[in-house]
Amino acid sequence: MSTILNKKIKILSKKEVAPNIYLAKLKAPEISQEALPGQFIHIKCSKDNYPLLRRPISIHRIDKEKGEIYILFQIVGEGTKLLSQRAVGDDLDVIGPLGNGFNIYPESKKIMMIGGGIGVAPLLALCEESIRQDKEVRVLIGALKKELIVGEENFRILGAKIDVAADDGSYGYKGLVTDLLEEIITKEGWLPDQIFTCGPKPMLKKIVEISLHSHIDCQVSLEERMGCGIGACLGCVCKIKTKDKKEDKVKYEFKRVCIDGPVFEGSEVVWDD
Amino acid sequence: MIDKPNLEVGIAGIKLKNPVMTASGTFGYGQEYTPFVDLNRLGAIILKGITLKPKKGNPPPRIIETPSGMLNAIGLQNVGVEILIKEKLPYLKKFNTPVIINISGDTIEEYMELVRRLEEVSKEMGVAGLEVNISCPNVKKGGMTWGTEAKATYKIVSTIRKVTTLPLIVKLTPNVTDIKIIAQAAEEAGADALSLINTLVGMAVDIDSRKPKLANVSGGLSGPAIKPVALWMVWQVFQTVNIPIIGIGGIIKVEDALEFIIAGARAIEIGTANLVNPQTTVEIIEGIEKYLMENNIKDINELVGSMKI
Repeated sequence: MSTILNKKIKILSKKEVAPNIYLAKLKAPEISQEALPGQFIHIKCSKDNYPLLRRPISIHRIDKEKGEIYILFQIVGEGTKLLSQRAVGDDLDVIGPLGNGFNIYPESKKIMMIGGGIGVAPLLALCEESIRQDKEVRVLIGALKKELIVGEENFRILGAKIDVAADDGSYGYKGLVTDLLEEIITKEGWLPDQIFTCGPKPMLKKIVEISLHSHIDCQVSLEERMGCGIGACLGCVCKIKTKDKKEDKVKYEFKRVCIDGPVFEGSEVVWDD
Repeated sequence: MIDKPNLEVGIAGIKLKNPVMTASGTFGYGQEYTPFVDLNRLGAIILKGITLKPKKGNPPPRIIETPSGMLNAIGLQNVGVEILIKEKLPYLKKFNTPVIINISGDTIEEYMELVRRLEEVSKEMGVAGLEVNISCPNVKKGGMTWGTEAKATYKIVSTIRKVTTLPLIVKLTPNVTDIKIIAQAAEEAGADALSLINTLVGMAVDIDSRKPKLANVSGGLSGPAIKPVALWMVWQVFQTVNIPIIGIGGIIKVEDALEFIIAGARAIEIGTANLVNPQTTVEIIEGIEKYLMENNIKDINELVGSMKI
């Protein structure tokens, strides 16, 4: 596990890359050295005590050489709105890196990554790492409409094959990214060894179904309202199946997204509707 | 100016090197905070509430931010007393900070069995005292019901008192008509100290889905929003009982802690602030020392309940 740090890190640049979606580059000499793809940082969004709680934000890119990390986030409430208004040059109070991160198996040759909307955020660092390990990487990005598809070019530059799907048909594949995934597996016959995904829960649930059907290992990155971020307050739990499978009924326990996750084996997650 | 003021206080027969403790549920089992806090600096560590058997807790969402505070409905998820003894307490033995165990139960029998077990291992495992939670608003059985009625409070505290010699702190709920009556009942039943307040029951509604924002519908409100309520209750109870009071409720900076001490708290617990700034406890300890030096106060105990009216 990485060493957890509480640091003030400087905003080096900031840009609205899509409506209400921001990309920021942060000077993080220590955190960048510790960070793994799939981990997050817990950010105090403002300088005072409003909002009170920190907000967990995925690490989008890790540049160990320059000692920088990038975050990609969407305004979804007061906290992220205030974060988007912070100025270049400001110091952000962050705790991190937190969480377990994605697990790329050494034997995997073909890797599929699927991001739904802002769910692409943790996948870029993972893509970079996978390509560094000489994996064949394909990336699917899904969003409601063209303007909300972010990061396409960044994945392409890294050398991944990328397909996009817009629900409204305004760009790329017309329809859900999960339908696109099914077509790639069944019609095209491209069968990945591992799937990594992050995005809205219905999408994750469907992708896990597809992966189970095709016997592909699938890791999902989950999101939940979070308190401490370090496993103490038990605020951010999700339902995870327990090992005991004697009875027909699915047994589960509550696991902490912040420290047991945010990445879980897709087959272990209990999806509530 | 005073060179080195005394920060040591006595609570329920436990000697604390300073009056700053951690509020149950916001500091895990202590180890989670070691990247940020030297546990040796703390007055005492109060652990996440424990029950006899492991508890699953409530479904998510369990927490939601509210103006200057947060609502939580964790539902006492915990590992149960046996795993606490086997896996959590040994780690804490290497620190010279008293460890206080916050305890909960559905029934009087459960409380008794839990207390007996902790009493049994207290010397070997370094259990300095117990904080009896009769004020959890987020569980269906037991919990807060013990703390909202004086007779029930007396019954549970006196029963526990009979089975243990460990220092007993009783944690009170603010969700009552008159906290003084409950405080008195706890004192008469043999409590060595009182800690107050636990969270205030509240809720939040999502106007788009028209669903409650917490899966449990209601939750406990904590954070700066509740500080004035907590202060008033500490002051009222201070005038009513003769046992020490531990002030809890929205303390995020040294000034907040000092307010509680002046209003009658001999010690304080830091709760929600741990989730925001994990170093809050240490910053407040340093702040109290600085305040005493600047105000020429030799001993923190002189400040307790020194409010001028």
